[in-house]
Amino acid sequence: MNGDGLVLECRDLRRAFGDLQAVDGVGFSIAEGETYGLLGPNGAGKTTSISMICGLLERDSGEVVIDGHPLTTKSVAEKRAVGYVPQDIAIYPDLSAKENLNFFARLYGLSGVERKKRVDEVLEIIGLADRANDRSEDFSGGMKRRLNIGIGLLHSPHLLILDEPTVGVDPQSRNAILESVENLSTEGMAVLYTTHYMEEAERLCNRVGIIDHGKIVAEGTRRELIELVGQRDRIRLRATGNIEAAAQATASMPGVYEAAARDDGLDVLVDNAADALTGILGTVAAAGVSVSSVDVDEPNLEAVFLHLTGRALRD
Amino acid sequence: MKILAIAATSVQRLFRDRTNIFFVLLMPMLLILVLGAAFGGESDPRLGIVSGGSGALESDLVERIEAIDGVAASRWDDRATIILAIERGQLEAGVVIPEGYDEALLAGEKVNVEFAAKPEESAQALTITVQSVLTDQGAILQAASYAESKGAGTFAESLARAEGIAATAKGLDVEQSSAGEPFVFDQLGRFELGAYSQLLLFVFLTSMTGSTALIQSRQLGVSERMLSTPTSVRTILLGEALGRFAVALVQGLLIIVGTALMFGVDWGDPLGAAATFIVFSLGASGVGMLMGATFKNDQQAGGIGVMIGIGMGALGGCMLPLAIMKIFSPTLWKVAHITPHAWGIEAFEELILRGGTIADITLEIAVLSAFAAVVFALGAWRLRVSLTK
Ligand SMILES: Nc1ncnc2c1ncn2[C@@H]1O[C@H](COP(=O)(O)OP(=O)(O)O)[C@@H](O)[C@H]1O
Ligand SMILES: [Mg+2]
Repeated sequence: MNGDGLVLECRDLRRAFGDLQAVDGVGFSIAEGETYGLLGPNGAGKTTSISMICGLLERDSGEVVIDGHPLTTKSVAEKRAVGYVPQDIAIYPDLSAKENLNFFARLYGLSGVERKKRVDEVLEIIGLADRANDRSEDFSGGMKRRLNIGIGLLHSPHLLILDEPTVGVDPQSRNAILESVENLSTEGMAVLYTTHYMEEAERLCNRVGIIDHGKIVAEGTRRELIELVGQRDRIRLRATGNIEAAAQATASMPGVYEAAARDDGLDVLVDNAADALTGILGTVAAAGVSVSSVDVDEPNLEAVFLHLTGRALRD
Repeated sequence: MKILAIAATSVQRLFRDRTNIFFVLLMPMLLILVLGAAFGGESDPRLGIVSGGSGALESDLVERIEAIDGVAASRWDDRATIILAIERGQLEAGVVIPEGYDEALLAGEKVNVEFAAKPEESAQALTITVQSVLTDQGAILQAASYAESKGAGTFAESLARAEGIAATAKGLDVEQSSAGEPFVFDQLGRFELGAYSQLLLFVFLTSMTGSTALIQSRQLGVSERMLSTPTSVRTILLGEALGRFAVALVQGLLIIVGTALMFGVDWGDPLGAAATFIVFSLGASGVGMLMGATFKNDQQAGGIGVMIGIGMGALGGCMLPLAIMKIFSPTLWKVAHITPHAWGIEAFEELILRGGTIADITLEIAVLSAFAAVVFALGAWRLRVSLTK
């Protein structure tokens, strides 16, 4: 680990396949304990970027530094810091869950008691302890996905790279996967998470890079991204009483952009609903209006993506 | 040791598939049995006959030879083909009846019937048997000629009467010759010629088809994932190759020990035989790895692997012995030495036929080692290219 706490720094990654510029100047960094999301549609260049970061694909330009050490396709020892979970499940189907884990644990340099212990721990984490000795070809899609992830956790890497780990899994497995990723980052692991699901990026990631056509078009926390495109939270109040007066009083509050009266209540546009809500409810009550329900619409990354690229994340 | 982990997993996966147990472990045993039936066993010695004319005496002689108990007689066109057949081990011996046999005998001239055989014990026994048949005919001939001279009818009539009368033959001689140049394998037991060339052919072939395992690992994405761990391309390649090599060793040991115990095959100097087999198997595993790193499709590679395995085996002298190849086409014989098979065979011949030791096959061992080194270097390079593009 270097002084600034950065686990991964990459700069100016570029890679073309023939005429196709798959990755066109991607760069970002991830700090210890941080989960960074690469959010973009299929074909945006997420997997190609990750392959270059892991030293699995030659790059046309750019550099990757992990734990302060440069990493290339020729690196060997430096890869110890990384746990890579590929998008396509990469396990031996004719081996059991435990055999797969043991095999990769050896490759990650674990041996003896430590390996045994870690394999058992990971089997618990991925919820396959009771199926440990079954051949993985007999597993459901979700179980294979979990095993696929478990392999990347074996050596407790500083940087865990998950490439669309929830594609094609049932909602239950998906939730289990998201939960374990949340736990891992609280344990101090840096996580690079790619997805084309907006909700996953919003739920898991401290920071998100929005990637399209091989370029990161915007980067920041969810709120920064939303502010970047000028999207605001909308608070809907269902209310009775003097709604007009309440709307006027609310509109003059700081941080409120607009307050409009409707038949059954009022709509308020604010920067940050969580910060403004209490104040607004007070103002409305002071105007003699009684509120029966509150709804908050936060603009999401989907809207940000649409705004930045003119396209939906999924078509 | 990561190499061991990769090798062990490779072998473990190989035997997960029950059909592989058959191909890797049972096939060599079956092969030994088949070879034993073809080359070994106590079958009748095979005797070829060349008979150009159609005279009564000549037909009588051929019939007598064909009637010998415990001999499998067959007719051949000319002296050259029969000699070749003996050299190839298709016949134990041959009898060549000269042209004008009847005429010469009836004119009372001396006739030479040629007997060709390998200098083997079984052939010696045959010589004696054939000699006795000729003597029988000679005795009758003499009796007939005596009767004719006494005015007891024509020669043909006398001949008929003379059958069964025992006397000493004077006019008939068996001339013995050895078939052509003595070949190395003249001294071999029937089975040994098969055993070492089959060993090389078979082990190489299995390495070729084993290359599909590496392709499957790549198709599964496991090879790439292995490369994302702190493991070098070379370690991955060596690990996979070691797995193949271990399988080759097991197969080879089965064949060597099996043939030695069941058919009494002598493999020569144990150190030399082990060294030859090990460096040959290393090269074979290396070619398998090179194929596995190069081809994208495992079925395609499996098919091509079998073709290459059989093709190189045939060229390298596993089917047509190198000594014979050298006579027919010295050029082909030279080309054969691009295969590791040819070097392996020559090493085994030195050990088995000429009683050589490891010191006598240093050239062969060096060539086979160099071959292994080159294919491994190429394989590592191809695998890196295919994994990191
Ligand atoms: N090996 C390759 N050869 C040619 N084109 C490729 C290759 N890998 C990826 N691409 C192309 O590069 C682009 C980015 O792909 P990828 O990085 O897989 O996108 P994502 O992971 O975001 O879906 C796509 O248009 C894809 O078709
Ligand atoms: Mg992808």
